[in-house]
Amino acid sequence: MGSSAGSAAPAVVKPKIKQGVAPLRAGEGHSFLLRRLHSLTGIVPVGLFLIEHFISNAFAVNGPAAYTKQVEFLTSFPFVVALELFGIWLPILFHSLYGFYIWYRGDSNIGEYPWTGNWMYAAQRWTGAIAFFYMGWHTWHIRFTGVHILSHPASAFGKVQLEFQNTWVAMFYLVGIIAASWHFAYGLWLFAAKWGIVTGDRARRRFGYVCVIIAVVFIAVGMATMRSFFHWPLHPVNGGSS
Amino acid sequence: MADNKTVIIKIKRQANPDSKAYWEEFELPQTPGRNVTSALMEIAVNPVTRDGKKTTPITYDANCLEEVCGSCAMLVNGKARMACSALLEKLDHPVKLEPFSKFPVVRDLAVDRSVLFEDLKRVKAWVPIDGTYDLGPGPRVTMQEQEVAYPLSRCISCCCCMEACPQFNESTDFVGAAAISQVRLFNTHPTGKALKRERLAALMGDGGIQECGYAQNCVEICPKDIPLTRSISEVGREVMKQAIGDLFRR
Repeated sequence: MGSSAGSAAPAVVKPKIKQGVAPLRAGEGHSFLLRRLHSLTGIVPVGLFLIEHFISNAFAVNGPAAYTKQVEFLTSFPFVVALELFGIWLPILFHSLYGFYIWYRGDSNIGEYPWTGNWMYAAQRWTGAIAFFYMGWHTWHIRFTGVHILSHPASAFGKVQLEFQNTWVAMFYLVGIIAASWHFAYGLWLFAAKWGIVTGDRARRRFGYVCVIIAVVFIAVGMATMRSFFHWPLHPVNGGSS
Repeated sequence: MADNKTVIIKIKRQANPDSKAYWEEFELPQTPGRNVTSALMEIAVNPVTRDGKKTTPITYDANCLEEVCGSCAMLVNGKARMACSALLEKLDHPVKLEPFSKFPVVRDLAVDRSVLFEDLKRVKAWVPIDGTYDLGPGPRVTMQEQEVAYPLSRCISCCCCMEACPQFNESTDFVGAAAISQVRLFNTHPTGKALKRERLAALMGDGGIQECGYAQNCVEICPKDIPLTRSISEVGREVMKQAIGDLFRR
């Protein structure tokens, strides 16, 4: 009845493809919250802290006395360790570690597509990593070891000066300042673009110039601050029993 | 033909989704105005490699040959682009053809790009007008709205933006620029915006708009010059408005 012909017909080889990138998982997971939180922590509080840190250190330009006054002001805050922990360390730690996770999941392809935005994408990851390792080392040396600055604000200026006696250390500071400034300025631009604050092509380009200026100002202020630590005579570090 | 100039084409081939890829080289006489697709047709006429070995014709996708159907996208000299608009005389030689690297190979240069269709379904990229009775004429679309919508409507689902995106991979399972841009298109449509809330909510799921790293390769590579980064920013704003609004209202 023709059924034999029908059943004998070879089954069409239609490989079911089950590889490749999976479709969107609408309504699933927490990656939206975490990614947006990562984006936000880069501005508040980490970016705000960076601004405060650059301004406070720029008091070094006016000499050890002005610098000590600023350090005394900061260390005089109530709940200062809690402010450090929840306002600085934990947010930076989250931003950094989640940032490494983002980096690990992306596949940079500047070899095939060497365009500006793509280079900036890669640079944002590298500057973030440099800034992270710099900050870890910097915090360890200035905050956690040596003279305790919270209880000896007057020794802060001299402590930084002692650090800079080693040229390599001073170079590392310079690299750290440039990396952090770049990462913050472009991060600001990315925040504005991704959160839809600056959406138009021309507006985004204009804001890009603003961010370049922000980066340049940060780097200039950082370098001027570094210079003043070399400029002023060595300030005594008194971390003894006083 | 008189000067006997030829073009060498290196093609990455693969017999089936599970087999190993290998390279074959072909040599064709240079013809003015020839595109990659017609070179592949020419090879099919006489499938013999450069060193005289008889082989099978190359499998590839192609249809309209005028950059509007979106089927012939492949890697030409390492970059994602449409084979039909890639003229041999304007390419670096030898010409290297590969299938898309982020989509499963079906055979040779043909890949399975159905993930975009799945994504478009998940973001409900359509205007909801199905019903049991005549809904009458839709609302007027102003000239200004048309001017925004038209460039977005030119998407040909070629997937070049996804192939070139550093975030589009099996680790993030990012949805890619094309689907996000379609969300913008249908959310700005006066009838289509009925599904706006659902579309934006879909884009907040895993693999959603948050995975964008703003490398901007999508807008550079798009053969239809769709303002994809602008779409990502605009939809990003709507998504944030909805997410933050829901914190207070829901």
